[in-house]
Amino acid sequence: MKREDSIVSDLSCWAVMAVFVAGLAVLAVRLKEVQVDGAPDYNYEKARQSVRRVQTAGPRGRILDRRGRVLAENRRALSIVCNAAVFRKRTWDATESAIAEAVSNVAAVVGRPSPLTVRAISRHVRQSLAMPLVAWRDLSEEELARFSEHSWLHPGFSVAETEERVYPNGCLACHLVGYVGRDRAHGEEGDERFSFREFDLCGRSGLELYYDGFLRGVAGEKKLLVDARGFSEREWVVSEARRGPDLCLTIDADIQRVAEEQLAGVRGACVALDPRDGSLLAMASSPGFDLNEFVPMLSREVYSRYLDDPAKPLLNRASGGTYAPGSTFKPVTALAGLEMGYPADADYDCSGVFALGAMRLHCARRWGHGPINIKEALKVSCNTFFCNLGMDIGTNAVMSAARAFGLGERTGIDFPDDRAGLVPNDAWKRKTYGERWYPGDLAQMSIGQGMLLASPLQMALVAGAVGTGYLVTPHLKYGVPPARRALPFSRRSLEIVREGMRLVVAGGSGSLGGEGVDAEVCGKTGTAEYGLGENRRKNTWFIAYAPAGAPRAAVALVVENGESGGGTAAPRVAAVLRRIFNAR
Amino acid sequence: MRASLYRFNWIMFAAMLALIAVGTVSIWSAGNARAETVFHGMWLSNLATAGVGLVVYFALAFADYRKILAWTSVPAYAFAVVLLIAVLAFGSKVYGGRRWLWFFQPSEVAKLCVICLIARLFGGEGRRGFGWFALAAALIAVPTFLILLEPDLGTALTLVPAVVLMLFAARVWRRGLVTMLATGMIAAFALLGAVYEAERPGVTEARRERILRWVPLKSHQLSRVKVFLFPEEDLTGAGYTLRQAKISIGSGGFSGKGIGKGESNHLKYLPQSISMNDFIFCVYAEETGYIGSLVLLALFAALLCPCVWSALVSADGSGRLLALGVATLIFAHVWTNIAMSIGLVPITGLPLPFISSGRTFLMTVMAGLGLVQSVSMHGRETQK
Repeated sequence: MKREDSIVSDLSCWAVMAVFVAGLAVLAVRLKEVQVDGAPDYNYEKARQSVRRVQTAGPRGRILDRRGRVLAENRRALSIVCNAAVFRKRTWDATESAIAEAVSNVAAVVGRPSPLTVRAISRHVRQSLAMPLVAWRDLSEEELARFSEHSWLHPGFSVAETEERVYPNGCLACHLVGYVGRDRAHGEEGDERFSFREFDLCGRSGLELYYDGFLRGVAGEKKLLVDARGFSEREWVVSEARRGPDLCLTIDADIQRVAEEQLAGVRGACVALDPRDGSLLAMASSPGFDLNEFVPMLSREVYSRYLDDPAKPLLNRASGGTYAPGSTFKPVTALAGLEMGYPADADYDCSGVFALGAMRLHCARRWGHGPINIKEALKVSCNTFFCNLGMDIGTNAVMSAARAFGLGERTGIDFPDDRAGLVPNDAWKRKTYGERWYPGDLAQMSIGQGMLLASPLQMALVAGAVGTGYLVTPHLKYGVPPARRALPFSRRSLEIVREGMRLVVAGGSGSLGGEGVDAEVCGKTGTAEYGLGENRRKNTWFIAYAPAGAPRAAVALVVENGESGGGTAAPRVAAVLRRIFNAR
Repeated sequence: MRASLYRFNWIMFAAMLALIAVGTVSIWSAGNARAETVFHGMWLSNLATAGVGLVVYFALAFADYRKILAWTSVPAYAFAVVLLIAVLAFGSKVYGGRRWLWFFQPSEVAKLCVICLIARLFGGEGRRGFGWFALAAALIAVPTFLILLEPDLGTALTLVPAVVLMLFAARVWRRGLVTMLATGMIAAFALLGAVYEAERPGVTEARRERILRWVPLKSHQLSRVKVFLFPEEDLTGAGYTLRQAKISIGSGGFSGKGIGKGESNHLKYLPQSISMNDFIFCVYAEETGYIGSLVLLALFAALLCPCVWSALVSADGSGRLLALGVATLIFAHVWTNIAMSIGLVPITGLPLPFISSGRTFLMTVMAGLGLVQSVSMHGRETQK
């Protein structure tokens, strides 16, 4: 052994060993910082880039009538979904064309082309790759059978369960219930916590729209682990989505059905409500449409067919259509007059025509009613009387009475369509027509003609308010606390008008309005004329409440292009009232 | 022969076997994450290579290294240079470099040949002057230059510390060597400073251009230096790999995600082209955590320290140089590879011995360790 003689000293060797140990120690220290101290941060970083949070949609709640009968619910539907990861290719373009080709292969099996467009596939691949791509929605039994038989030939496609809306009664209360579309799941605006949202049903009209937030399922959450290119590797559910609550309505499906039957074949609307608390019993508009045609999605043809229909079936005439109320407005004028001190037993002499300058307003009875007091004038719907009364008390009196009944403003109903109608005045006329308010305008307004506009819902509220003495805010959701305001009219005035309205049905112009009803009906007919010459049309009205002493129901009904209020509208109202009051 | 067997360094051998096992498991895990099925069986081919490597290892270990050096170091060196020229002429191009000759990388073999030759030449007395240094420099320069032409900067760089250390230990022109080393370090720091000054935020384009004209780096090297200096910039571009490497290592935590369960690897956030090679430590560290990292570092210590011990117990200058040279070469690989994946040094493409998949490199390292084992077994015998 001559180690010390070696050209390489021991010291060099020891130094090298020291360098090795020190170098490895430096790594050990630094690795501790990264792996032990930094682990939470790096795990967070990794989760941020590799975990996608998905908001899942829960089933929508049902819509029920006041007795729990179903107006809208869900049914199980089956879809074919495509898992993009199976068609992973080197480039996005190649992946897209692989999916498109596979979809067209499956289309041959299903027997129905997929609604997926090239653009939709491209958007899915680039934006929500980790999510399943719905290729066919709502399969029929036969389509499902054909696909199931061949599904093993088409990896990447599977059957997924979804929920679709279904309306067991089809057209019943179609305007009321409304239809749904498809949207990303419900969530806070700008909620950045979720990378993806599942598609969810969302209300587009009617109650489905107004109570959309209420009916929607409670969103759940799941997490997807995605790879560097965004394909889904694994998923786990964080919280389950839950069914949305059921919406109970004040509507009675039986009354609704009768109201719709009465409107069958005509254009018009009918509203029945409880004047004590404002709950609606029926709200019908005609013509209607079949809600099930909007499921799973509205086809372009059906939609344009509805849009092009001159009868405008999608329009909800009950609260979204406004008409001149015609003679049904006369109780309002009467109340205004009585409040101004017009004596109940004073007579006007009706000659059959009211003349003001060049204007002639004819009475229903060509040869006139002769001397007539206010109750009689309501009973026979004397135009001359109310024109004169209106001229006597002035525009402001009539207008404020109309406003007291909520005309010209929204009713506040829990429903998207809530038209205010119109109570015209001087300022409005100057602004709109550039003309001043003429005495003739006042005369027209006193008998519900001219520019005055009201919806059937508003007129039902007017009828009910006359009967109860207070105006209620209407509502459709069961259990909403009633809201009402008293009418600024004396008890005496109201009693006189109520008596007049009772006479209308008891032998007056609307005697058909109480036929066969097991309650004493008070009402008022209306025949509003519009158009000139050949195009002259009549909108026929009947408004009513019953029973006379303690009203429990108020109804307004309008039929476009009818004969007369008493002949066309009143019997239809009687049918609705019979359904409400007569023992079954 | 009995005496030699008695001197067989079992610790070094056991550490090597353990590292081969760790490497095989890592390659299995990294390979399985890849879509191409050809990589799924990579661990098997690694084992097969290790098997062949063991034969070479024992052949070299039981032979006397002096004879090996005397007979083969010069022809081996010449053959390596020929191979390096051949790879430049006929090699296949992979990832922007021409490094492969059919299935092996001559540059790895060349490094061992250079070490052998240096050990052979400077093991004796009296070769200390500048002239000898110039000869050594020339001998090193030829293969280094050829390797840089491939280009394979990392492989060339790991040769430098090994050779410098050998020359220094052999006391060849120490004064000059120290001066050059100091100059090199100053130059490296100047280079880093210049890049920092050119790339730091708020520098005008004109000034950047003016400084970078003096920086002798290629664009990919420049971007690696930039990532080293400013790791938070360009996280989706040049900085992506380092960031993903750190996330992978860091998310392993103390005890790891479990073998075969590395998420960065399976979800392909670690670039697939490097997860089995230069960045396999990230896969290993995420799956086994800090405990795994410490085990690995301990295994390398258990491998390298006996190498130096072999040098210490050897009476012979060549033996000492050979053991130190091989150990330093391995250490340079280990340290740089792990350090670059946690951002301690700029990213340089070089494999982690035994863990990365790479048949040529595994064979080379095992052959080198076989020579060190030979030093351990035969180095105490007096010169015949």
